[in-house]
Amino acid sequence: MVTLGMHMIDIVQNAILAQAGQITITLEERVADALLLFRVEDDGSGMDHRSLERLTDPFFTTRTTRRMGLGIPFLKMTCEQTGGSLRVTSAEGKGTTVEALFRTDTPDCLPLGDLEGSLLLLVMANPAIRFRFNYLVGKEAFLFDTDALREQGIDLQHPQMLIPVKSYIRENLELLWRQRAPESYLC
Amino acid sequence: MEHTIGIKTLADLKRIQEEVRTRISLRDKAENPESLVQVKVAMATCGIASGAKEVMEFFALELDKRGIDAVVTQTGCMGYCFAEPTVEITLPGREPMVFGYVNPKKADEIIEQYIKNGELVDGIIPQNYNTIES
Repeated sequence: MVTLGMHMIDIVQNAILAQAGQITITLEERVADALLLFRVEDDGSGMDHRSLERLTDPFFTTRTTRRMGLGIPFLKMTCEQTGGSLRVTSAEGKGTTVEALFRTDTPDCLPLGDLEGSLLLLVMANPAIRFRFNYLVGKEAFLFDTDALREQGIDLQHPQMLIPVKSYIRENLELLWRQRAPESYLC
Repeated sequence: MEHTIGIKTLADLKRIQEEVRTRISLRDKAENPESLVQVKVAMATCGIASGAKEVMEFFALELDKRGIDAVVTQTGCMGYCFAEPTVEITLPGREPMVFGYVNPKKADEIIEQYIKNGELVDGIIPQNYNTIES
């Protein structure tokens, strides 16, 4: 994985497989602490204790098509290589929360990549799921909620809306990114 | 690429949505509703790392631009991690076909040759075969 956007698709895909009805993605730049928090919360099936314990083991997977599962181990690797950490909490029948903390004052920090494009493909392919995407930089925030957009009559499944919604998210993110500290390696 | 700047609020998006609606209603009349092509892009860790996002975006935008009514969606790993990105395409009334090593260039070829004309292109993964259990 070369960008955080890729990790986002990957982790959200896990939530979709866990039959989530609502997925909340949070990216929070804690400017003063030089940290980036990446969190994916779902209300899916959750995991039992045994699965949770083996989650970061690359040779553990629930799939039958292959014998390894690298999504979580990759995320653990990329956050730990910046000096950050990964935390996963889960309750069976309630849902799972994946939290990765990245240090942003090191060049090992992953580029964000195409966050908006990644998010919108997930939204487009899963019309039954409510997605909330929160991006925070210090005290400023941008919130994207698929339910709120649908209420406004915006058709997120329409291919011609892909580029306009993408630039809507991008422009709002760029406004937020102006609040970023100059020593941050995030890009 | 149209509408790439000056979209900051939901109101801007609403305005664009109105335009899109009028355009689509013109197209709907001319087309046959039962000719729906299904495109499933494998998007597990292996697919994502190999560039499945770009491929999916290409299919979503280009099929619409070229006037082909299709559903573009995601699927998990089919076990062909070596051949990612893989794409499963189901033409109406046909068996699903899996293509491997798909990039936007290959995707273009798939749209022009397989989806439009039903001609096979290189890179097919034989998915629908039977094995003899011992």
